[in-house]
Amino acid sequence: MGIVGWARSKSPWIAHFCTGSCNACDIEILACLTPRYDIERFGAVLKGSIRHADVLLVTGPVTRQVRDRLLRVYEQMPEPKYVVAVGTCATSGGVYRGAYNVYPGVDSVIPVTAYISGCPVKPENIINGLSFLLKKIGESK
Amino acid sequence: MSVEEETFRELKDVFGDRILDFKIQKMRVYVKVPSDTYREVIRYLVLLKGIYHLETITGTEVKDGIEIMAHLGTGMPISIRTTVSSEDPRIASICDLIPGAEFYEREIHDLLGVVFEGNPNLKRFILSGDWPEDVHPLKKSFESKHNLPLREGFD
Amino acid sequence: MSTFDIPIGPMHPALPEPLLLKLEVEGETVVGVDFDVSYMHRGIEKLLEAKTYFQGLPLVERICGICNAAHGLCYTLNVEKLYDKEIPARAQYLRLVVEELSRIHSHLLWLGVAAFEIGFNTMFMYTWRDREAVMDMLESITGNRITTEYSQIGGVRRDMPSNLVDRLLKTMDVVEERTKYYTKVALTERTIAKRTQGVGYLSPEEAKATCAVGPVLRASGVKNDIRADDPYAAHADVPFNVITYDSCDVFARIIVRAQELLECVSMIRTALRHLPEGPFRVKLPMKPNAGEALTRVEAPRGELFHYTLSDGGMKPYRYKVRTPTLANLGALRAMLTSKGRYVVNIGDVPISYGSIDPCICCTARVYFVDSRKGRSWVWTLDEIRERSRRGELLP
Repeated sequence: MGIVGWARSKSPWIAHFCTGSCNACDIEILACLTPRYDIERFGAVLKGSIRHADVLLVTGPVTRQVRDRLLRVYEQMPEPKYVVAVGTCATSGGVYRGAYNVYPGVDSVIPVTAYISGCPVKPENIINGLSFLLKKIGESK
Repeated sequence: MSVEEETFRELKDVFGDRILDFKIQKMRVYVKVPSDTYREVIRYLVLLKGIYHLETITGTEVKDGIEIMAHLGTGMPISIRTTVSSEDPRIASICDLIPGAEFYEREIHDLLGVVFEGNPNLKRFILSGDWPEDVHPLKKSFESKHNLPLREGFD
Repeated sequence: MSTFDIPIGPMHPALPEPLLLKLEVEGETVVGVDFDVSYMHRGIEKLLEAKTYFQGLPLVERICGICNAAHGLCYTLNVEKLYDKEIPARAQYLRLVVEELSRIHSHLLWLGVAAFEIGFNTMFMYTWRDREAVMDMLESITGNRITTEYSQIGGVRRDMPSNLVDRLLKTMDVVEERTKYYTKVALTERTIAKRTQGVGYLSPEEAKATCAVGPVLRASGVKNDIRADDPYAAHADVPFNVITYDSCDVFARIIVRAQELLECVSMIRTALRHLPEGPFRVKLPMKPNAGEALTRVEAPRGELFHYTLSDGGMKPYRYKVRTPTLANLGALRAMLTSKGRYVVNIGDVPISYGSIDPCICCTARVYFVDSRKGRSWVWTLDEIRERSRRGELLP
């Protein structure tokens, strides 16, 4: 792996976006920052700003109102960008699939790099999924 | 006489035959009134009996129209139900009596199309701005499938 | 009302944006509030009409990912009213234990988030670390950390063996000790007092008029709690104190929630000491009787309301859910509107908003309009907090 890929995989800046989920996955993502799971030891930094993010964690089935905002957020991210669909709702629409106001998952709106399943997803799985993604990022370039 | 029965008796004494139907359960009294009496009953309970808490207002599409039920929750909970016609669903708002009713009325307006006359802010609340005006999702005639635009290349 | 030009920025006001709060401001002072909750609308009530009562439970639990135990409990209690069967006492006690455990996790979560809002990042880490002990207990008892679906139609899903009872009692000792420490910090740290006292003021009259519920209502001195007023599950047998506080501000809400934690601990201990023997579940048929049912439950955020109308079939004809956060929106508006000598600064918005414990993500966006200057703009709650720290609250 080249030096840029190495640098990128060692300290990914992560942004988080909620598209109308029940918030359980969002809470578990936040729990990853707390001492027991401590995602920062992987160098992952949870930043608010989309413009500096390498990785976008998306939770929730995409509601009708939020779709345009999600598309815009995706467009504002600088290349190379990686989207992780966190949770079953983001993967496929989850329990809400079939509701009139909801899309069948994030990948029906923007392309997704990785899927982490769970309802809600456990912090261990988030860390596992992100490590897998970091390895993939590091191997590119 | 239980507290529930006493509560109902008081309402019956004041409103007499205008109470079309009633039901008494543990910790809940239901009364059914015509739509022109709905606001009067609530006014009586708020101004003369000091009831202030509105739990919510429920709207259900039933055989002869849309049933609106206001659930008041101070002391002995009372649920006041009335039916409005589907062709012209209008009912008096209770926002001046209980300010907290505003959001519940807006929600029913969005989802079932009922117009609450006197609501100070009957705008879109729960459906998105681009949702068509005359489509009300909670009506039985609305089918839950959608044709939202999906990403190209999504299968 | 005078017209003004809205400068078109990177985000056009006419697009359907997931905006939550729309604030009318004059300089840094908030003078008017409106809401748009459309971005969270998922169409759940309609979806519930397409599922059987038993299939509806996972969906109802996921209306809110934090107080999901309350939703599940309210749903199962509500649907059970349509049957003529008595639910075993052991099940009701176990439901109470998991409900109160879930309240502990929710309040600890909120204390951490409130601490973060004030700038106490260490407190956030401490409360969430302590919360993990509770999450472990939830996982051991129910099988999942959140969205446990422990309360089922007819009882609970699993029994609680005695070794779990012992572990739970030990965890309660830890929670009690930590909560007492947090309460002491909240009462003695001057920074917390400065940031929260007098902020987000909601008078008792306003609280009643806007139909506020839960800790928001009780922090304005009004003694209302469904567990005491209309007991459900085993609450009629398990005594507790309804916690109120009189200062009606964000500080009061912190104290009320911290002290409610201690009441939860006491209720769990009482329930476990008197846990009745017997079955933990009865089997109920797929089709309940025709009729209607209505149930209220005290969720961590306040009064939760479920109503159903059954036509005797397997699926509900109508299912209505009113979450406590919706009930508190009126109160939020009242506490964010400046009136007379009570002035609300933009910087107070995130913490006042957080103090109602909303069931909405923190990436919520706030839309500002300053009619006098003819400007409008959008900030997220995070941005408001950052700008408030830098003292840059004018765009």
